Amino acid sequence: MPRIVREAEIDWEGTTARGNGVVRALSSGSFELASTIASRVEIHQGKTSPEELLAAAHATCWVTSLGSELARLGIPPERMQVHCTVTMDEVEGAGHRIVASHIAARAALPDASAEALAEAAAAAEAGCPFSALIRASATVTYEATLEEGS
Amino acid sequence: MADRTAHVSWSGSLTEGGGTITSVGSGAFGPLDVTWASRAEESDGRTSPEELIAAAHAACFSMALSHGLAQSGTPPERLEVDATVTFVPGTGITKIQLAVDATVPGIDENTFRAAAEAAKENCPVSTALASVPEISLQASLT
Repeated sequence: MPRIVREAEIDWEGTTARGNGVVRALSSGSFELASTIASRVEIHQGKTSPEELLAAAHATCWVTSLGSELARLGIPPERMQVHCTVTMDEVEGAGHRIVASHIAARAALPDASAEALAEAAAAAEAGCPFSALIRASATVTYEATLEEGS
Repeated sequence: MADRTAHVSWSGSLTEGGGTITSVGSGAFGPLDVTWASRAEESDGRTSPEELIAAAHAACFSMALSHGLAQSGTPPERLEVDATVTFVPGTGITKIQLAVDATVPGIDENTFRAAAEAAKENCPVSTALASVPEISLQASLT
């Protein structure tokens, strides 16, 4: 099996409370983003945070799992939409912890039933590498619905 | 409590089709294209879940380390953190390597290494990803 390596970096200046960071996608060069502690734990103010990057990672990982499970069932999707919400909370005695990730998926599947989608979604959740990792420490939930008109 | 959101739209099959991280809650980035080929082969200028995890972990670790250093009276001037995520299709994410290069006035090597190790153990992304088989850290002062 090929090993796939992806790299990112952040430069941080000053303290957590008053400093700020710039996070860059080194492998692809596809983004360079500002982040601060205030944008992480309070209002985002247009800046990203580790949790938002994890939400993007989880949504992207999950959509590829769902697509391959649907193909396996012989119902290749026309279109899938996956929305992910990652929740960080203060846990007594442990400080800030990522406690939950919720996936909401919608799929346009010509001639397929809700049951088939439910079967594919269950397999996608079981097989998504990111879900498998964080299930050990956070609650992962998902819902999958057929897109209207499909 | 802080919720952070992202939305992805995908058209077509896994290998022939493609997706877009259309938007995130903060509006800080997107749209970003993703394909299976850019995830599993050459990135070709496109991001992937593993690159986003690398970015999340680098950002989380740097915040935790700067906080820890400030708490012990030696706030950092500058931290440069790299994260490298290794993904094996069919197996999952097998390894994350963190590397930090720091400018911290008035700190000795051992104290700095201990602070870096504590940040690696305790930052929220490290604890969320604690089931990754190997998370390594290289810490150096400049």
